[in-house]
Amino acid sequence: MTTLDQQPARAEGRKDPWSQLLVKVGKSQDRQAYHSLFEHFAPQLKYYAMANGMASHADELVQEVFVSIWRKASLYDWQKAAASTWIFTIARNQRIDMLRKMRRTSVEMAVETEDLWQIPGEDDNQPVTSLHRLMSERRVRESLSQLPEDQITVIAKVYMEQKSHQIVADELNIPLGTVKSRVRLALSKLKVILQDQNV
Amino acid sequence: MTRHHPDSLSLMEYSAGNLSEPHALCIRLHLDKCSHCRRQVDTLDSLGAVMMEQQPKVSVSGAMFDDILARIDSSPELKPQATVPPKTSLLQKLLGEDINNLPWKRQLGDVSVLDITEKFPGQNEQVVLQKLVAGGKAPAHTHRGTETTIVLQGMFSDQKGVFNQWDFVVLNEQDEHKPIALGSEDCITLSVLSAPLKLTGTFTRLLNPFIR
Repeated sequence: MTTLDQQPARAEGRKDPWSQLLVKVGKSQDRQAYHSLFEHFAPQLKYYAMANGMASHADELVQEVFVSIWRKASLYDWQKAAASTWIFTIARNQRIDMLRKMRRTSVEMAVETEDLWQIPGEDDNQPVTSLHRLMSERRVRESLSQLPEDQITVIAKVYMEQKSHQIVADELNIPLGTVKSRVRLALSKLKVILQDQNV
Repeated sequence: MTRHHPDSLSLMEYSAGNLSEPHALCIRLHLDKCSHCRRQVDTLDSLGAVMMEQQPKVSVSGAMFDDILARIDSSPELKPQATVPPKTSLLQKLLGEDINNLPWKRQLGDVSVLDITEKFPGQNEQVVLQKLVAGGKAPAHTHRGTETTIVLQGMFSDQKGVFNQWDFVVLNEQDEHKPIALGSEDCITLSVLSAPLKLTGTFTRLLNPFIR
């Protein structure tokens, strides 16, 4: 990656208003900033909860995510992930955690949810790959808008409804291979695949 | 350096949070040592965020925010975290200090196994550690269903190639293999079995943990 590419990436990170707000929450427990984040992300999170079959626990999930944001905001590093990506990973983990707790019998879990699914930036033994991360969210947003509808539908079912590729195939009444090739096409356009040359 | 990686579709299911705990464990252990896959997951996490942003929104009651504040104010344990708590490594948490010193069950000359399925209650997969003595050979076998394996220590080879520490291998019904442990260390792998494995050679009756 060239120096010229790096400048917009850094600027992008600073400009992102949600990341700035999250930094404020982390640094000074700024409740105004926290409220702005709530107004922006809570409706997204509620849809996320409802889409993946947790409708009766949707409000609970939104609350858990925001409590978690409050507790963890001080650990947030805008150079490691955009606020929306960081919040997505917290939401994913809280959803998994809630489902695990509902299933939990007397047996305690040998490993915690966050041992298995990490929040960006909390893996402190790993080098900062900030430029890559900041570029990636902007690039994903731009390229997603150019994907055909059938590919977006498949990705949405995987991410929002937590459907396996097989279930997506059943629902759309198309072969599993078609689902996989749509995902692969989408991922290569989003440069998830073959992005090594950038780093 | 790892050379065998999980495919992008599995990384996507991991990022979306759709994998079972044992499968997530295999991916997680690999990610810890593989920056190539970690970068893919970073991008996939961004994809999750952008998907969430572009989907419909559902309004939340204003009272919820007040409830959250009330909860934060009344619960000292919800104070912002000052630092990341020091983490024990995932493997250590799961298996203790020394994976060579587990209560291994000797199977055949070169193979020992340890079933750790009980560490993942409520999951539908069998989780098995296998140890192949340095230089040792495992009996030929195929697999019923899919077997996902990560190499935790040492290395092995089979018809498909050489698998080093932290390499990721997925085998299914079509794959008959006969692993050989390479190098000077015992080769230890962790496998997640969606269905028990099937022996093809003369050892059919011996490997009971796999055939129950």
